Amino acid sequence: MWDGIFTGLTTAVAPFNIMMVVVGCFCGTFIGMLPGLGPISAVALMIPITYGLDPSSGIILMAGVYYGAVFGGSTSSILINAPGCSSTVVTAFDGYPMAQQGQAGKALALAAYCSFTGGTIGALILLVAAPALATVSLSFQSSDYFALMVLGLSAVAAFSGKGQVLKALLMTIFGLMIATIGTDVIYGIPRFTFGNLDLIDGISFLLLAMATFALAEVVMTVLKGEHKEDDVPMDMSSLGSMKLSKEEVKHVAPTAGRSSLFGFLVGVLPGAGATIAAFLAYGVERNLAPRAIKDKFGKGALRGLAAPEAANNAASTGSFVPLLTLGIPGSGTTAIMLGALIAYGIQPGPRLFVDNPEVFWSVIISMYFGNIVLLILNLPLIPYISRLLIIPRPILIPLILFFSITGVYLVSFNSFDIELMVLITVVAIFLRLLSFPMAPMLLGFILGGMMETNLSRALIISDGSLAFLWERPLTALIMSIAIIALLLPIFGRYIGLKRFSADSLVVADKGEG
Amino acid sequence: MTLNKDHIGGLIFLTISVVYGYYAYEIRMFPGDQFEPFNAQTLPIALAWVGGLISLVMLVTAGRSQEPNPNLAQLNFLLVGKLLVLVWLFAQALSWIGFLASTILFLIVGYWILGERNPRTLLLASVPFAVGFWLLLAKVLDIYLAPGKLWQMVLGA
Repeated sequence: MWDGIFTGLTTAVAPFNIMMVVVGCFCGTFIGMLPGLGPISAVALMIPITYGLDPSSGIILMAGVYYGAVFGGSTSSILINAPGCSSTVVTAFDGYPMAQQGQAGKALALAAYCSFTGGTIGALILLVAAPALATVSLSFQSSDYFALMVLGLSAVAAFSGKGQVLKALLMTIFGLMIATIGTDVIYGIPRFTFGNLDLIDGISFLLLAMATFALAEVVMTVLKGEHKEDDVPMDMSSLGSMKLSKEEVKHVAPTAGRSSLFGFLVGVLPGAGATIAAFLAYGVERNLAPRAIKDKFGKGALRGLAAPEAANNAASTGSFVPLLTLGIPGSGTTAIMLGALIAYGIQPGPRLFVDNPEVFWSVIISMYFGNIVLLILNLPLIPYISRLLIIPRPILIPLILFFSITGVYLVSFNSFDIELMVLITVVAIFLRLLSFPMAPMLLGFILGGMMETNLSRALIISDGSLAFLWERPLTALIMSIAIIALLLPIFGRYIGLKRFSADSLVVADKGEG
Repeated sequence: MTLNKDHIGGLIFLTISVVYGYYAYEIRMFPGDQFEPFNAQTLPIALAWVGGLISLVMLVTAGRSQEPNPNLAQLNFLLVGKLLVLVWLFAQALSWIGFLASTILFLIVGYWILGERNPRTLLLASVPFAVGFWLLLAKVLDIYLAPGKLWQMVLGA
């Protein structure tokens, strides 16, 4: 393990990789600030750039963008009450009132310190938990993997909002269906290509991610007429002091610690993600607070800002645990990273720890660097970065559209891909209008190929019998958890477990899943 | 009975599942594959059945949904249509007039569609950006970008 950590450290401190962390955090902060564009879009927009890099640098860049986007989302939540992504919606509850009271600088600083705390605690737990889990999962067989993928996909439904369970399940199935388009990896037979040679290799995940997130989100902004809105009612030059007093630090420190631990645990659960972590941490903190402080929640309470900020960053780190150790993404953003890793020829999972220790450890270590960069570089630069919000939307929107489509074109150099993007965007818009969440579809699409391969192996080994689902204890255990995850939304309603997610469902589609 | 979002969604996915299922049974296989425990049709057929089943459950339970239907009158479909047609035209233009000219035209028309009318802004926000991006790709990253059939025909290059 220590050899691996040393290799990772050597990779992570390479000047080029440190530059990737800085560039990633900076770009992520900017993209995350733009209302509507969340971490998924930010990471998707970076993928074409990462194809030219080696795997470690590429993933480090994407991890930096992820962090930066969550932080950028907090900034726009605090300054203009327009969350850049769903995981920072809760930040606006107390952050924006603070900004209105002339304490924007303090709110931003507190958000940055708490994000740093969340990220640091998350990275430390990841350092211990990931290799331990990876060691255990080395004994996994095809049937266990198949069960794990079923669990990952059903967990998406478990953590979707009230009334969204069936929609999330349908979108997961839809993603799995799209994954079957193209040549079958096991038998080499073309499926659903209708004689079109452009579909022989299937639909690229980058195309699907860009069309359903980056492109569709921008188009939805135009569809709702939000591109005409002016977002900058506040004077960016007068953010107020960024200093916190000793009493204030003492007041929020336990909150940040608690919420970080809590956020990490929620983030580890497949499908839960930073949004639910932030909502839950806020709710828990409000319940724990004494009456006098509880009344201040929603009106600029320091603890109300600290809790979601620490939790969403810790959850972002936590979501890397299933990705790096089991090869199952914990959120929409890590689903995109999974796709990128596969494109590099790296199979995330327990073998990653053994086969590519430099990727495994450098990602974990660079996450910590990312937190430091956000604290010492981005925080002082916020007044300047936030000026970018002044760029008029009629200029910004065509530029984002351009980056989305050229990102896909520059990988394939095939204009058919752009036409297909238009078609998928149209479908995505209609599904969004019908309140269907997009993240489960992407998750289904990415896991589809792996799921089919593992199911095929397990069935061939068991001579066509489905008994492998219950004969092997580990497979049976995971399948049982998957069934509980599926039934939870139905029975959870009666035992009050669903209350927390009711608010998040409205925004669950925006970026962080 | 008024159709709500869930009814429409359920119907759409039921249709998708039926059509997908039909083509799943049409997938050609190598001789003997049909006797294998797992073949190219297995997963698609399973997905079609599961998708159809969940769609039916959604249709049956749709009446309980309290989600309001979107107010279509407030949505600007025309503007979105124009932007998507522009993206489609960009795809066609790439092979005819090349990356640089297509980008400049795409950006100018995009700004115009979204309401920007100042010629100075239209040019300044498109030409320097497109030239800079093209230089980055073609000269710095050394990515080959085809010049476009039209220029080759006119200039004979």
